[in-house]
Amino acid sequence: MNASLIYSVGFLLSVGWLSSAQAGETEIAQKDKKFSQTKLSIKVGDTVKFKNDDPFAHNVFSLSETKAFDLGTYPKGQTKSVTFDKPGKVEIECAIHPDMKLSIEVKP
Amino acid sequence: MRPSGPDATHCSSNLRSWGKLWRLAALLPVILGNIGPSFANELGQQDTLANTTPDKALMGSISRGKKVFQHYCVLCHGINADGLGRAAKLYQPRPSNLVLSDKNAQYKELIIRQGGAAIGRSNYMPPWGKELNDEQIRDVVSYLTSIVKQ
Repeated sequence: MNASLIYSVGFLLSVGWLSSAQAGETEIAQKDKKFSQTKLSIKVGDTVKFKNDDPFAHNVFSLSETKAFDLGTYPKGQTKSVTFDKPGKVEIECAIHPDMKLSIEVKP
Repeated sequence: MRPSGPDATHCSSNLRSWGKLWRLAALLPVILGNIGPSFANELGQQDTLANTTPDKALMGSISRGKKVFQHYCVLCHGINADGLGRAAKLYQPRPSNLVLSDKNAQYKELIIRQGGAAIGRSNYMPPWGKELNDEQIRDVVSYLTSIVKQ
């Protein structure tokens, strides 16, 4: 009886730990030459999906030291993802539309 | 009570003169309105003629093209078009040094309009055909042609 109780508690604790450690996913749309959010807070290991909802191409990139990347040019309907593996601030831009800005804070 | 006597006569004659002046003033917009458009047309024709001279038209195109370049292209190609924009470090091959470009205007227009991938160049050069209109693309080509060092 005692042993089964201990196993159950242990099982529940491990499930809880696993779910809290699971990386999150956030979708940011590009619509009307704007990101759907201008600021975003995520955790290390989280993934952000950049979905192009405009009828023309976008080119999402970042020059930030925390995460420098370029997703290349992609057309309407396509989604590209980036996983953020270091804490810090990441400024996201679009190479085709210089006025598009998104600031991501990656928390430890 | 109405005034009478010499002063009153003088006063009423003054009033009549003012009345004429006011009527004239009221006609001024009509007179100017008739003269204005033809004068403006003449000026407009002169302006158009001046702008259609090849040098002026080209200078205008270069000037507009520089503005478009500074808005859209400097990120990779740099403010001096030397390929040293702030995003250049992300790319391999590096963005072209457009000051040393040996490509002709047609080639430049094609790569701007269709992007690098379409003509076997860098995938990172986006197709600008849907972002820039025909005039903007021509203007950028004019600007890029004007800055090439022989």
